[in-house]
Amino acid sequence: MVVIRGGAAPPGAGQRHRGSAVDWPGWLACAAALAGFALCLLGWLAGGGAFALPWAPSLDLELSFALDGLAVLYGLLATGVGALVFAYGTRYLSLHLEHQRRQAVERWRFWPWMALFAVAMVGLATAQDLVLVFVFFDLTAVCSYFLIGFDRAEREARTSALMALLVTVVAAVAMLVAAVLLYAAHGTFSIPELLARAAPSATTTLAAALLAVAALAKSAQVPLHFWLPRAMAAPTPVSAYLHSAAMVAAGVLVIGRVHPLLARSEAVLTGLLVVGAASVVVGGVLALRRDVLKQVLAYSTISQYGYVVMMYGMGGAAGNGAAAFYVLAHGVAKSALFMTAGAVTMATGEDRLSRLGGLGRRAPVLAVAAGVASATLAALPLTVGFFKDELLFTAALRHGPTTAVLAVVAAALTFAYVGRFWGALFLGPPRGRVGSTPVLLVAPVVVLAVIAVAGGLVVEPFARLAEDAAGVSAGGPVALSPAYHLDARAENLMALAAWAAGGALLALPRVVDRVSRAVAVAGERAGPRRAYEMAVHALNRASTALHDREVRDLRTSIAAVLVPAGVLIGLAFAATPTAGAYVVGAVVGADWLILPLLALVVIATVVIAVAKARLAVALALSVVGFALAAVYALVGAPDVALVAVVVETMLTLVFVAALARMPRAAPERDAGAPARVRRRRRDAIAGGVAGVAVFASVWGFLSQPAPDSVSAEHIRLTPAAHGSDVVTVIVADFRGLDTLVEITVLLVAVVGVATLARRRLW
Amino acid sequence: MILAFALAAAFLFGSGAYLLLKRDLIRMVAGIMLISQCAVVTIIAASLGRGRAAIAVAPGDPVSDPLPQALALTALVIGLATVALLLALVHRAVVVFRTAEQDRLAATEAAHEAALERERRADREEVGPAPEEAGPAEEEPADGGRAR
Repeated sequence: MVVIRGGAAPPGAGQRHRGSAVDWPGWLACAAALAGFALCLLGWLAGGGAFALPWAPSLDLELSFALDGLAVLYGLLATGVGALVFAYGTRYLSLHLEHQRRQAVERWRFWPWMALFAVAMVGLATAQDLVLVFVFFDLTAVCSYFLIGFDRAEREARTSALMALLVTVVAAVAMLVAAVLLYAAHGTFSIPELLARAAPSATTTLAAALLAVAALAKSAQVPLHFWLPRAMAAPTPVSAYLHSAAMVAAGVLVIGRVHPLLARSEAVLTGLLVVGAASVVVGGVLALRRDVLKQVLAYSTISQYGYVVMMYGMGGAAGNGAAAFYVLAHGVAKSALFMTAGAVTMATGEDRLSRLGGLGRRAPVLAVAAGVASATLAALPLTVGFFKDELLFTAALRHGPTTAVLAVVAAALTFAYVGRFWGALFLGPPRGRVGSTPVLLVAPVVVLAVIAVAGGLVVEPFARLAEDAAGVSAGGPVALSPAYHLDARAENLMALAAWAAGGALLALPRVVDRVSRAVAVAGERAGPRRAYEMAVHALNRASTALHDREVRDLRTSIAAVLVPAGVLIGLAFAATPTAGAYVVGAVVGADWLILPLLALVVIATVVIAVAKARLAVALALSVVGFALAAVYALVGAPDVALVAVVVETMLTLVFVAALARMPRAAPERDAGAPARVRRRRRDAIAGGVAGVAVFASVWGFLSQPAPDSVSAEHIRLTPAAHGSDVVTVIVADFRGLDTLVEITVLLVAVVGVATLARRRLW
Repeated sequence: MILAFALAAAFLFGSGAYLLLKRDLIRMVAGIMLISQCAVVTIIAASLGRGRAAIAVAPGDPVSDPLPQALALTALVIGLATVALLLALVHRAVVVFRTAEQDRLAATEAAHEAALERERRADREEVGPAPEEAGPAEEEPADGGRAR
């Protein structure tokens, strides 16, 4: 086994501690990921498969999954990288918790989310229903929230977690809107059917743009990239997973999944190209001068996914194929580099490039493995990374000269920052103390490095995977033929140019420094992160102000219910066509008696509102009650009428009794004060508005009766219940349980009244 | 007829809302009563059929829709319970605070809260600083801590 040790640290120091025994949940997650990997691989070799279960048939929702090429690619990535990262995490997390003096049991706050993360990713990769995709998409965001905020005692971790959640989840709403738009236009949420049905149109373009926005925010593309560097507050296994195979990959996965839809509109593709290029440049330039290890890698991720987005923007078989291959190669390299950063930090206690150096001698295995991973990212030959750039250059050349130049710039930037990262870590004079590096923190990096080299030697399986995946995104078969060509073809020249330019950037640290710092400062000053923070603070303030207003006193609490309800009703009216929706209704027979009774009700109601004396209020209330009881009798509802009479009698008695036992109201001292008058006027207006709103809605809903009632069934079944009064039978039999609950409510009220009416409460 | 019922319901609700905004607790209870009357009227007016009372129905007879009537019955009885409880509460508040004015009630409540908070603080100081607080271990003993 490989044990890297150095300095004066005794062998195996820090490996066995009380409380950090074997991390069972971690190994369980690792085993599950391995099993998932094997299943994905077998499924791929068997030619895929699909199944669907009904979810909510009335909404046309289906739990439909399919293991197609794209699903296999991301599934293998999520489970394969997942298994390695989880294995790494079993050791890392124990050390991490130990350093922070936290209980080992806290790993139960970690592994379930990690496992769910992997499940959500596989689910997202295989889901074939747009709403299902949305659910898994948000599930990854929720998992990332808890994982980024794992060190919850630190403010930084909490705000970062919230930022990641808000940016990705709010943007994800765009995806739901797009799903609804597409459903309205095509009547299905199923992605294959949508791809078949959607023709180029304004709706399709809008939906495609919305889907792209959600995906780009997830993939941390400019200008919504700022959450990713902050997400570094997470423990390293989370970062490694989040950057290479999960969260961030979810964005490009969605782009790959709906790419045929995006390709219906040239504007959307161009937008992808622009956003991707901007991310490549911004991420790359910022990565050049970051000092914190994980921040270099974070900005590099922004830049690398910028490549992928760019390639999806180029479209076509070449672009899609190159994008799929790129995701694969990047996932392998980036997870290895993150785990390297974690291992280095664990061994030295330092997380800044400026305080590290010369680790090559002291941790040779890690240095070599990390070197291979860096070479993969920098697209050096003999690694799988070389082919990712070859395919990129081919696609860019096919798209046009501008993109070709951009591709070279991107590759040069990558070469420069990856070179700087590896060089600063492992070359130069030794700096800092180095403790031991546990095997488990190095072995996964070695495994990934071996995979990268294997891919560099035999690229066939990787190319097959990417071809299958690109076939889904391109909507047709894709053929990729990455290979080494020892001639002066354009791709090779571009690669050479990129290495030369990257080398030049490495050789001119001062110029690079200045540019990168200027960009960073500009980003701080006017960047989107500032806008985000201002928005969050403004929302917070608004919410506090609203809350303070609401809880000030009873009136404001009532207003907090009535005003939004009124606004909603008003909006509903504004949005609904009302022509012909209102019916006056005929007046026949007994209705002539009802009309004066209702008029009496109205008059008594007005009296209640304006009465000065409380007794007048009580009497007018009973007038309303008895008049309504008469109305009920006239519309053929004798049961209701009888109950109403009883209830009104009791209420009047109770009311009068209560008034009699109450001290006289104090005379209004300042009845004429201007504040009071103003308030009374405002109350009257509020009441008037409420009345008008209720008038409009009640009239509208009475004008549109349902074609038939369930009452017919009730009437038919009444003899079977051994009764003849249908209402009685409904109350006592058909809805007997309701009545039982109602009696309970009544009992509770009686107990309450009896308690409150006692002279001494307790 | 539909218009008439809608108008009556609108007046009931409008007055109810107006009364709810009053300071006098009795008038607030009256407002709640009016709003529940509005609900019952609306339910009854929403009957789909009109005719005889639905008692001993012969097949084919036009009858009043019995289902809204059953719902209205429930609403009436629950309304009675609610209003009785509310009145009892108001009564108790008036007996204790000698006022049915919201503002004065709120002022009394605020004063009471402040007193409670003083007591709580005194209790805390007596117990000593919480374990996670790294503040000074000893505070001068509070004298108002045993108000109860």
